[in-house]
Amino acid sequence: MGAPPPFTDREADFLRTLLEEGVEFLVVGAAAAALQGAPAVTQDIDLWFANLSDPRLLRALRRAGAAYVAPTLQNPPLLVGGGAELFDVVVHMHGLGSFRQEARRALRLRVGDLELPVLPLARIIASKKAAGRAKDLAMLPALEDALRALEARRRARTGRSARGRKPRR
Amino acid sequence: MRLDRDRIRDLARERGYSLAGLLRSADVSRTAYYSLVRRPSVVPGTVRALARTLGVPAREIFRDDGGSAIERGALRVTEARAICRNAAGASFDGVWHALCLLDLPPIERLQRSLTRGRATPLHR
Repeated sequence: MGAPPPFTDREADFLRTLLEEGVEFLVVGAAAAALQGAPAVTQDIDLWFANLSDPRLLRALRRAGAAYVAPTLQNPPLLVGGGAELFDVVVHMHGLGSFRQEARRALRLRVGDLELPVLPLARIIASKKAAGRAKDLAMLPALEDALRALEARRRARTGRSARGRKPRR
Repeated sequence: MRLDRDRIRDLARERGYSLAGLLRSADVSRTAYYSLVRRPSVVPGTVRALARTLGVPAREIFRDDGGSAIERGALRVTEARAICRNAAGASFDGVWHALCLLDLPPIERLQRSLTRGRATPLHR
């Protein structure tokens, strides 16, 4: 028996709706690190949106039967209903450029039948270093080891050395 | 027994290789690869002759003793050691686990992360 999918049908539908509506977002945080091979554990999936008042996002939320709850002193920004509770809203990534700058470097990873835009591991590490919270710093050794493994595999695929040169044959 | 081109292609894609990249990394020439995948059988003639004489399919006289899993593990150990040798501060455990995860498709990596995150209050 195979492993159960990470999303319920409603959660997958929510992501599909975001993609179909053309909402600009990136998967970031520990879930993004895990997608790239880091042994990170998380309870939720952080989504960084380019613009929380984008009509396409509001339309996608309506289509999915979900809603956006603006932040107050008591709560951070939230998505509720429609299978959106798995997803946390990120409004700012410490130590990184603007959403558009970071989105240009995004990876597109196939997750089931969805192709999700994902912040590269090196940028996740940069953000966690800049945030400097204890829980972020605690993850860094595992993330950095994963980046080493990822880059070694990439070099093996492209035939490049650690210095970026193709070895002579 | 033939080489399964679809299986090779799927495994390569899961690991982020194009076919050309896979062949380059494996140091296998395109000529050798296409010659193998076009063969009606990659089993040596002597093995086929033995099987034919015994009246069984060739696969019945092979023994699967889990060698492929052990071989994969051994290759991964070598790979992890090489990465650690070339990176100050790298931990073998961390690199090893990342390499294990990189051999899975992204959806399974995420599934593991969420399952363990939900089960472990320490990481909440």
